Amino acid sequence: MDITLDQTCVTSEDVVARIIEDELIIVPLVSGIGDMDDELYTMNETGRAIWSRLTGEKTLRGIANDLAEEFSAPQEVIEKDLLGLITELVRRKMVVVQ
Amino acid sequence: MTHLSTIEIQDFPLWDKMKEQRKLFSFDLEITARCNNDCRHCYINLPAGDQEAQSKELTIQEINSIADQAVALGAVWVLLSGGEPLLRDDFEEIYMLLKRKGLLVSLFTNATLIRDEHIALFKKYPPRDIEITVYGATKESYERVTGRAGSFAAFTNGLNRLLDAGVKVRLKAMAIRSNFHELPAIAAFCRVHTKDYFRFDPQLHLRFDGNKERNQLIKSERLTPEEIVILEKADEERFASLQKGCDTLINDNFAHVGCDHLFHCGLGNGSFNIGYDGTFRLCSSLWAKETIYDLRQGTLREAWEEFVPKVRDMRSRRQEYLDNCRSCTIVNLCLWCPAHSHLETGELDSPIEYFCQVARARADAIQEVPQLENMKTL
Repeated sequence: MDITLDQTCVTSEDVVARIIEDELIIVPLVSGIGDMDDELYTMNETGRAIWSRLTGEKTLRGIANDLAEEFSAPQEVIEKDLLGLITELVRRKMVVVQ
Repeated sequence: MTHLSTIEIQDFPLWDKMKEQRKLFSFDLEITARCNNDCRHCYINLPAGDQEAQSKELTIQEINSIADQAVALGAVWVLLSGGEPLLRDDFEEIYMLLKRKGLLVSLFTNATLIRDEHIALFKKYPPRDIEITVYGATKESYERVTGRAGSFAAFTNGLNRLLDAGVKVRLKAMAIRSNFHELPAIAAFCRVHTKDYFRFDPQLHLRFDGNKERNQLIKSERLTPEEIVILEKADEERFASLQKGCDTLINDNFAHVGCDHLFHCGLGNGSFNIGYDGTFRLCSSLWAKETIYDLRQGTLREAWEEFVPKVRDMRSRRQEYLDNCRSCTIVNLCLWCPAHSHLETGELDSPIEYFCQVARARADAIQEVPQLENMKTL
């Protein structure tokens, strides 16, 4: 499935995100999220900034705009990174495209 | 750029922090003291129909509150145990409540009560793992241990259904008098059914409720020190590992001469235990009144932050303890600990002769020159 910057996304109810010792830990609730059922996931600073914005309120383009400003990075680089991560998260059922 | 990565439990940032200070990682939640089996060696198996025990069990609302507090303190992992957890009618609700809080959930069960609903639940919402005890490899020995007709068939049915569904199952066994003759067959059974894990435990401890008649039964099921050594030697891999780790098991530095602290294990450092009636304990074996905090009268944070340090600071003035267990160089081969001392004697600091005998026999054995080629394989 091709994801575009005009779409909005929300985090899936099939995972639980927790902050543990200042790290974002994503705990799969259902089977089939990862290669193994007992895998946990963590994200780097940029990933965490993206995750916190996946509330369905802004399009991915809007989120990219915010991130480009926050991280003082070129818009096109952010957009490419964002789409890459969202595609991975959607494939793993951690994020749902609305 | 990779923004998402998997993280293994052993790589959790928590471990580094735990080296610096106490950090909660996991807790055990005994959701019932009742069991549908009546195992001879068991320390917590009140009858399934025990209404008094049932009336004391934590409600779903209380479990929800405790889990919220545990998560707020940073807990990552919970072990659901009992008694037999599947005896509770609201087991699925409890399980999902814990999962939805982002906890990894493990389960101890005898597998005899596995139903369609459990299979569907565990397939969709996988547990971290399910650990099942194998009491015997035949109907005769299994049911001699459990005291319940039909339990072997129920166990094999439950186990096979879990395995067929692809649920991660680990098997273990208690090595006791009633199944000693069958331990090689039990080991073979376990290895046929699961690949990654098998362990047996010959060290029985006494009951939480102090039932004298049942404690006598448990003692009668204990193996002799010599039998325990034979058993350990028969497991080549395990025994070689013990011999390899000899220096970390027997060491003069373990003699804490001049130290009168009772607790030298890691209890209360990263985990705790919640009893079926809302009692907070530092480990599943520790039942001394002065070491128990009632969560129905207080908060988990208070128990964790204020009560645990007080228990860990408890000291002994008993010379018999200070001269023996406290200064013992083979303490890491011994079942002795303040919790087990209390279960055996009512005191937290009394040496227990049977434990001493087992530890000495194990120490003698692992210090022998390896002669593994003469050992019978378990």
